[in-house]
Amino acid sequence: MKLRKASWLLISLTLILSIFLTACTGNQADDPKETPGDDGKKEEEQATGPQQGGDLIIGSTGAPTVFNPLYSTDTSSSDIEGFIFDSLVSSDTEFNPTMSMAESIDISEDGLTFTAKLKQGIKWHDGEEFTADDVVFTFSIPKDPDYNGERGSAFEAMESVKKIDDYTVEFKLSKKDASFYPVSLSYYILPEHILKGVPVAELGEHEFNTKSPIGTGPFKFVEWKDGEYVKVEAFDDYFQGRPYLDTLTYKIVPDMDAMIAQIQAGDIHFAAGVPGTDIETVKSFPGVKVESGLGLSYTYLGYNQKNELFKDKKVRQAITHAIDREAIVSSVMNGDGKVAHVPESPLSFAYNEDVPKFEFDVEKAKSLLAEAGWKDSDGDGILDKDGKKFSFTVKTNQGNKVREDIVVVLQEQLKEVGIEAKPEIVEWSAFIEQISAPNWNYDALVLGWSLSTFPDQYDIFHTSQMEAGLNFVWYSNPEADKLMEEAKQILDQDEYKAAYADIYKMLAEDQPYTFLYYPNVHRVMPANLEGYVFHAKDDFYDISKWWLKQ
Amino acid sequence: MLSYIIRRVLMAIPLLLGITIVSFAIMKLAPGDPASLMMDPTISPEDKARFMERYGLNDPVHIQYLKWLGAMLQGDFGTSLIRKGVPVMEMIMNRMPNTILLMVVSTLLALLISIPFGIISATRPYSKLDYTVTVTSFLGVATPNFFLGLILIMVFAVQNNWFPTGGVATLNAPFSLWDRIHHLIMPAFVLAAADMAGLTRYTRSSMMEVIKQDYMRTARAKGFKENKVIYKHGLRNGLIPVITIFGLMIPSFIGGAVIVEKIFTWPGIGLLFVDSAFQRDYPVLMGLTVISAVFVVIGNLIADILYAIFDPRIEY
Repeated sequence: MKLRKASWLLISLTLILSIFLTACTGNQADDPKETPGDDGKKEEEQATGPQQGGDLIIGSTGAPTVFNPLYSTDTSSSDIEGFIFDSLVSSDTEFNPTMSMAESIDISEDGLTFTAKLKQGIKWHDGEEFTADDVVFTFSIPKDPDYNGERGSAFEAMESVKKIDDYTVEFKLSKKDASFYPVSLSYYILPEHILKGVPVAELGEHEFNTKSPIGTGPFKFVEWKDGEYVKVEAFDDYFQGRPYLDTLTYKIVPDMDAMIAQIQAGDIHFAAGVPGTDIETVKSFPGVKVESGLGLSYTYLGYNQKNELFKDKKVRQAITHAIDREAIVSSVMNGDGKVAHVPESPLSFAYNEDVPKFEFDVEKAKSLLAEAGWKDSDGDGILDKDGKKFSFTVKTNQGNKVREDIVVVLQEQLKEVGIEAKPEIVEWSAFIEQISAPNWNYDALVLGWSLSTFPDQYDIFHTSQMEAGLNFVWYSNPEADKLMEEAKQILDQDEYKAAYADIYKMLAEDQPYTFLYYPNVHRVMPANLEGYVFHAKDDFYDISKWWLKQ
Repeated sequence: MLSYIIRRVLMAIPLLLGITIVSFAIMKLAPGDPASLMMDPTISPEDKARFMERYGLNDPVHIQYLKWLGAMLQGDFGTSLIRKGVPVMEMIMNRMPNTILLMVVSTLLALLISIPFGIISATRPYSKLDYTVTVTSFLGVATPNFFLGLILIMVFAVQNNWFPTGGVATLNAPFSLWDRIHHLIMPAFVLAAADMAGLTRYTRSSMMEVIKQDYMRTARAKGFKENKVIYKHGLRNGLIPVITIFGLMIPSFIGGAVIVEKIFTWPGIGLLFVDSAFQRDYPVLMGLTVISAVFVVIGNLIADILYAIFDPRIEY
């Protein structure tokens, strides 16, 4: 009897105590969450301009790997590099190159010499001055025979880089390259005074990259807790003015579900890449706003043209006719996107609306298939030709709900025209290995491309990229090849746009892919975040100008 | 006893070797490789090929294994393929304290709650209390820990804000012991829940057996108080089978930690394991496999030693 009483007392006491304790801390924990910017420096007067201060916790489902732009290959690392480092040129919301650390860039008549004048008075985070030596040092790394990173091809056309004086650098190219200015010159600059003694072969694994990166960017590196977060703080001497936010904490979460729970609980303030299917839920959370816009990417249904089924252009066009892309966008994606016709975003200067279009038209699809010799001779509802049925699998990657749904919708829609399309969902790394060189083990696939701010289709659609490159659908059109090669030499934007107008016409006509849709991107942020400007490619565009209204 | 321990340790060597061979083979047989994850038009195929070459990923599997084994035997677990240049051991050691903390706390929690509950229910079988404990433990066994974890996060973290949604400590806050405990409670409870249920059941049935024994009656007849009879005479015998079960549960703690760490964003080796598997970071995966295998072997060894301590009839 005694024991019973004592144990019950103990248990109830423990319970009461724990409820009491958690209730206390629960309240304490509430405060900073609801006003993420409140760091005690609240200004009394009704300020209309930007206010200093505040910590922003940014959620990410990917973990960074290395903070060195010449060696990193993942989005999380480049997000953080964007806080720490700066480049000679960057791009505005319309993707036009803008001057960042460069004062001006002159291009010679023949398009082979680029002279960059640098801004003066820019400081590294350790107080040293930024000069031409840093630029020469950085651009020499990928040309070094010992360089073992994965970014070599971005600097292929560059022959040499040399210092003219402390604030002038001259780049010599071996051939004209339209992407040199917008792409190669936008690489972040590394500090020569810290890294000059490091052999290039060891640079990729140097502790600078993970423990003490120093840049000229708006934020200074503070700490990286593996698997938890990366923290940076405002750099007072930033050449474009000290950022308004005091610190950024880049928090790593295992998946989107955890991310959404943490946004709701206020543990995460900012998140990019929240799927459209979850956005209505997120909008209902208190203290949160969502900014959306068309992303710089598209999703497609690609056909393996090594496969007899898809060799005929008419067949590919017929499949596009048989797919109701409007319905996919409106029902699978809740209208969160736009139907695509070309492999270029409407946001790009090179976008061309004026291309052959293959609207949803079941009858047209059927007649095109009949023209190509496909008919249902055994009456089983599936087309056949020479004893072979029109049946194939559509692969896509696991974990992308929209794509997983689309392959099922495709199965339904293609059945209407007598084509059997069987969905198959594969884990990401395995999927990529199966579909790409040298396996090409798929019939059709649903996948997306994220686009560069500078349009160039060479890597994806040029014949030379079939064997080893990214042209894993084996698309080949000698005419398009020639145009893509020529475009690489065009430095004038209008001429480039004209050349690409023709390329997009050809690609649309040939339908190497059925271009499905352009998705929207959604970014979740505190309701009191000001100064944010939407940039389709850069989640953290102009982050030094962001501030929290108190 | 000492010679038994030495024998057991020696026996563990071929076992561990076997585990590494099987793990290495499975890992390499799985489709996908770290270079294919860099699907980016701005990275050329040549650069990807060079990456594979540099890390010896094009060698035949047995050569890769022997190279790895050779280095490992010299204490070198290699460097991560994804976190370039970071030694595998450093990555694991960064995460290890978190996992050990979680495991130790959840183990203690499981023992502290389940053994008393088991004893109480055994001494009062078929009472209301016994039924409550029984139903609760069946619920505990039947609820998968990912489900329990999500429910707890939903109710206690998101809706009521009593507990944090995840992580080991509040971001941007100075270290505080209470804060750490606050973060630890939910994941430790979830990890402990399933085992708690099992342990309670085993303690109950084992104690019920013991209570019926003649020596218990003798003890009572001698005039000992009931508490002393149960806790001094009964418990020592009653816990023997529980220790065995507990020893067998240690591997499941590691397995369970993978899921719990993922749900609670707990940066331990479980989470590292999941991430490395998706990134095909082979050296990290192998390092983790070796370490967890060693843990399991040690866990079993400890169980056997405890067995000997608690049961005087057992000699080695």
